[in-house]
Amino acid sequence: MFDVFFVQQLVNGLSIGLIYALMAIGFTLIFGVLNVVNFAHGEVYMIGAFAGLLAITQLAPPLFAVILVALAFGALAGFGLERIAFRPFRRFRDEASLKSKAIREATLLSSLAVSIIVRELAEKIFGSNMQSIPQEYLLLKPIEIGPLSFANGQFLIFGLSIVMLGGLQWLLKHTRVGLSIRAVANNPMGAAYVGINTERTIIATFVIGSTLGAIAGLIVGLYQGAIFPAMGFAPGVKAFVAMVMGGLSSIGGAVVCALILGMAEAITTSFFAQGWGDLVAYLFLVITLVFFPTGLFGGGRERV
Amino acid sequence: MMRFKQCKTLLTTVCLVALSCGASAQNKTVAIGYQAPLSGENAQYGTVFRNSATLAVDEFNKSGRLPGVTIQLKFEDSKSDAKEGVNIARKFSDDASIVGVIGDFNSTVSMAAGQVYAQTKVPQLSQTASHPDYVKISEYQFRNINTQAYEGPLIAKWAFDSGAKKVAVIAIQNDWGQSAAGNFVQGFKALGGTVTDTEFFNPGTRDFRSILTKMARSQPDAIFVGAFYEDGSAFLQQKVQMGLKQPVFATSSLYEKKLLELAGPAANGVYLTSTFVVESTEPHVAAFVKNYEARYNGKPQQFAAQAYDATNIMLNAIVAAGGANATRAKVRDALAATKDFPGVTGTTSFDPATREPIKLLSKLQVQDGKFVSVK
Repeated sequence: MFDVFFVQQLVNGLSIGLIYALMAIGFTLIFGVLNVVNFAHGEVYMIGAFAGLLAITQLAPPLFAVILVALAFGALAGFGLERIAFRPFRRFRDEASLKSKAIREATLLSSLAVSIIVRELAEKIFGSNMQSIPQEYLLLKPIEIGPLSFANGQFLIFGLSIVMLGGLQWLLKHTRVGLSIRAVANNPMGAAYVGINTERTIIATFVIGSTLGAIAGLIVGLYQGAIFPAMGFAPGVKAFVAMVMGGLSSIGGAVVCALILGMAEAITTSFFAQGWGDLVAYLFLVITLVFFPTGLFGGGRERV
Repeated sequence: MMRFKQCKTLLTTVCLVALSCGASAQNKTVAIGYQAPLSGENAQYGTVFRNSATLAVDEFNKSGRLPGVTIQLKFEDSKSDAKEGVNIARKFSDDASIVGVIGDFNSTVSMAAGQVYAQTKVPQLSQTASHPDYVKISEYQFRNINTQAYEGPLIAKWAFDSGAKKVAVIAIQNDWGQSAAGNFVQGFKALGGTVTDTEFFNPGTRDFRSILTKMARSQPDAIFVGAFYEDGSAFLQQKVQMGLKQPVFATSSLYEKKLLELAGPAANGVYLTSTFVVESTEPHVAAFVKNYEARYNGKPQQFAAQAYDATNIMLNAIVAAGGANATRAKVRDALAATKDFPGVTGTTSFDPATREPIKLLSKLQVQDGKFVSVK
């Protein structure tokens, strides 16, 4: 039997999952290289959305140009973030510091600090309310396919995640930057010994990861009709869960797990209540960690 | 030179003292305490309350309704903190010139301060505290806001009378949302209607499509929304995108200009209630909107109107309690006797037994991006 409402729920779940996936891609990339959680990724996501919104309200360019603006601000934010929150903790070069857990935790906290400062600043400047978005830019135009209803934003998000995932894989496998990112991810000291400029590679990682995050923020903001300073928090938590479930450093794994989370939420809403959606998502996390301590797609040593 | 300056200061002081003595000789001052969050997280509300209350008291003093008596407002900043609220309540209670207190903003602080006012027998009128237990503290607590116990059944009847026999309910998962949904459902079932789904969403939810799909399956005649305007506008937009055509009935929490901006055309057709309608053409409402805008640069919203009425209800009670001779006990009795007070948020009476306000709600509909009164 073909239940159209259930299929519609799967579509809903897929689109929720893709939003988490968009965020998880950049998040996992940065984690893979530094082995440190970048808590400010949600704020980069927010910066992308606000930069795009400012471009829309000031210049009203076509959507493609708005994405370019978000991309530029994302790159800038990534560069600045690395400079402020991550680089200061890499000035100790000895082996003990490189392996020190304290340094890692300090980096984690400094990214959290940047995240809080940026969010509070945005609240001071723009107010914590949701911003009004000009209607013609919203990605909510209904598209009916048979009995199912879609929004144009869902197709854009779907296309964007495929492009991002594919583009990133190509970048990592076939370009010099990508190869050095993988080398540094695999063994930062080894990479340095063979002459890879690890500093520059790390900056490149942040710029790439943050660009992806900023574009995701803009598109999701326009799709949900909600751009506000704390918008990065909730999807950030889900992206983090997806990353852990996927095995911390597998980008493909994080995407698959993000889709599982989204589906779980939609199906839980369908059969129980929306309030239980988060519980089921976290239950999946616990089950994964109990039975697959290294995540569903972790396992091997190779990262990124 | 120095001496001259000192002389001048002294002279000014003497003059001032003489003036104020003279004034008090023919003029008695009666004070109203106003506690509200003037700083911190909820400062935007406290500021609006201060604006409205100052406006109301200035108008009152100018009107000469109580010759020889000047009403003074004493503000204290509770920072939306229950501890601060209690300290202020003690301070106000010790101030013999205060015959009545307005505030606080939220139910938690109002109730904490209310415990003190109940003991010291100071009448307290909150413009916004809607928790069911607030007026149960003692016979000294009053409020100028409808609770969901009143609003829910009213909207239920409205929906039912408009022809909806099956409704789906969506509300935010918190105390307020639960009471909004609960009261509506109870009211709707009492009329003989059926409720197909009651869905609560977690605060912060941005995607309502799963809930909408669930609602689409059960095919209700109408949808009741108990949410604030940000979640409400996301819900309305996604409802349009998902192709659900059912009319939406909502609580007064959606009556906010921002809803029209955020939801755009998706807001059209929504039915909602409100006690205060800024677009109203009634002369006393229009005058309030005009005076408020002239003085504070910006149209008053629901909360400003709520505070304006609360202040005027208190002023009325002071007049009824004898003006210059008003005591706290007399003001309390006068407050309790408030009947058909014609405010900007509608006509208000206090139920003699429960002290709950009975306020008439206006019915509104969003049409072409504007709130329009409907019957």
